[in-house]
Amino acid sequence: MTDTPLDFGDPADLDRLRHEFRAWLAQHPLPERESGEPVQVFLHRWHRLLHSGGWVGLDVPERYGGRGLTALHQVAISDELGACRAPGVPRIGYLAHALLEFGSEEQRLRFLPRMLAGDEVWCQGFSEPGAGSDLAGMSTFAKRHDGHYTVRGQKLWTSYAQYSGLCLLLARTDRSAPAHKSISAFVLPLDRPGVTVRPLRAANGDDEFCELFLDDVRVEESERVGAEGVGWALAMTTVSYERNALDTGHISKYGLLVERLRRHAAERGGSLPDGLLSRIGRCVVDYEVLVAHARRRTAERLAGQVAGPESSVDKLLMTRTEQRLYDTALEVFPAELAQEGGELFGDYLYSRAASVYGGTSQIQRNIIAKRILHLPSNG
Amino acid sequence: MEREEFVLVRETVRSLAPRYGVTSPDEVKPATRAAAQQALDDMGLRDLRRTSPPAATAQECALLAEEHGRHPLTTSLLGTVLLAPELLRLLGDDTSRGTPTVALTSELRFPGPESADLVAWDCEGADGALCVATDGTVTRVELGPTAPSTDLLRAIREVPGDTPVETVGRLTAPDRLRWQAYALVVVTAELVGAAGSFVEQAVEYARVRRQYGQAIGSFQAVQHLLADATVLVEAGTSATRYAAWCLDNEPPERALTAARVAKAEVNSSALEAVYAGMQVFGGIAQTWEHIAHLYLRKVRLGATLLATTGDLLPALAAPEVTR
Repeated sequence: MTDTPLDFGDPADLDRLRHEFRAWLAQHPLPERESGEPVQVFLHRWHRLLHSGGWVGLDVPERYGGRGLTALHQVAISDELGACRAPGVPRIGYLAHALLEFGSEEQRLRFLPRMLAGDEVWCQGFSEPGAGSDLAGMSTFAKRHDGHYTVRGQKLWTSYAQYSGLCLLLARTDRSAPAHKSISAFVLPLDRPGVTVRPLRAANGDDEFCELFLDDVRVEESERVGAEGVGWALAMTTVSYERNALDTGHISKYGLLVERLRRHAAERGGSLPDGLLSRIGRCVVDYEVLVAHARRRTAERLAGQVAGPESSVDKLLMTRTEQRLYDTALEVFPAELAQEGGELFGDYLYSRAASVYGGTSQIQRNIIAKRILHLPSNG
Repeated sequence: MEREEFVLVRETVRSLAPRYGVTSPDEVKPATRAAAQQALDDMGLRDLRRTSPPAATAQECALLAEEHGRHPLTTSLLGTVLLAPELLRLLGDDTSRGTPTVALTSELRFPGPESADLVAWDCEGADGALCVATDGTVTRVELGPTAPSTDLLRAIREVPGDTPVETVGRLTAPDRLRWQAYALVVVTAELVGAAGSFVEQAVEYARVRRQYGQAIGSFQAVQHLLADATVLVEAGTSATRYAAWCLDNEPPERALTAARVAKAEVNSSALEAVYAGMQVFGGIAQTWEHIAHLYLRKVRLGATLLATTGDLLPALAAPEVTR
């Protein structure tokens, strides 16, 4: 596949950035999560604080509110946050890329600075009750009128819609054209008449996932992102960045748990049950391989490659790492299984979703087989 | 290193394959082995890691090893071109003559504190072997008769118990870590190359082999098998290249950890990827004539070479500071 050498440019430049960031962190301690404060609200406070220091969207051009640096600089900040056990950078990179690639100049100027600042919180309205793995089979329809559309349909798994002001929405704009050419993308303000947001309770008790009901919601033509029919291409770009190893704050979270397992192994010495030490070692290997893999993707991004189907490889690797890690952690800390509402067990339950959200592991394998290996289609 | 150079490094080794890559184990004969080794020696790659500072980065050397592993070649690229010259470079020795390879224990590990039987590993074209003791002392030992090996492509010879031992020098403690990390990276890179190439060959086969009136590569069960094998190869590639990069850019302790991680990953993933490829080839891959078992033998034996998963996982489970 790719043959890009690992080359990360001038290390002094990165060292300077890291030092600058550490100095800023020293003066801006982590906010405490207040009791009863929803995680998403807490993370939003953190997002705004980070942005006030200029630490969000480092790889976004300056005219759109970023700092015009590279993906490597953004990764360095993620590394630093992971090292001091802070929450990761806000997960907006993939939405920003969708606007950068498909939005009009006016839309980029209007939306990106406020997205980076956390002034406007975004969610993603892609999946539907009848369109999960078969995303192209969506039925939400945007009917065209003179200068605007009316949208009717239902979206599902819209993460944190209840805390969001804007939604990147996919809807069909043509009932007769083939699925992949009939989908368009819109920026939908969630306070529009006809929009209903209903949070779902997930297996771990969280209310991340929402349903979105759209009853003849008016959307202006100027709120369409890109031309009619490019929605599918936009969605594929977005999920490529979403699946990519670089655009998630997960890796540092895994690193913290891996270190906790290692410390436990050191404390318990030889008294760990048979085979458990090797399973911890396996988690270390999974994690370090993922870090190495993310470095390789960073080098590729710096060399000018855009996210594509190889992000399906990244997603499968992240899933492997996360699911094996939390499963092992429960073996190492069995007391966590004896109480309901514990954080580790909650994260374990969430890890089971890793092979489903953002495209199931089976869909990722289909993408690898067809778009990377170019294996023939059935029939 | 620019991308173009990266591709050029690959091409040097790739150019050997059409002429000297074997297409069946029956082609592995002393005369063909010697001719292939001569062709490799004529490329003058041995100086890549012989000078100080080295002419090639560890990343480039790992890439050479990766490409070498992709083809059924009998040449000693690892032992005589990449590993022994690196030892002499680390020792600052620019007077030694001859073409040494490296000595390992008969179980193919780095020699430990206890005395053990030695073999000269990957010794095609070699006239001696360098042995690194746990205190860093490097000695040169002589070669005995050919030793049996399940990897039919790799030449191994015994080291006679009464061999005269000539001390070449002594590695500093950091250089001994560098040496181990470099050896692990180069060996791992060859295994990744072998697995990657074999999976690609299986993908090609799945495109042309027809059953039930269609290419077997159109069946989802086969597609997912090959997709999973591809993920394993990509992960191993990332881990190995990162470990090589660490050798060029990070302290030796960090490089050794990264190299151990890569070896632990690839020990199992290269084997699993080759199993998947063999499954796709089906019956034909079970025959003596087919090259599948040459790849299988290389990665099966490779999984025990220098460090097994059983050695590595408990060691990596220890916190960073106490390791």
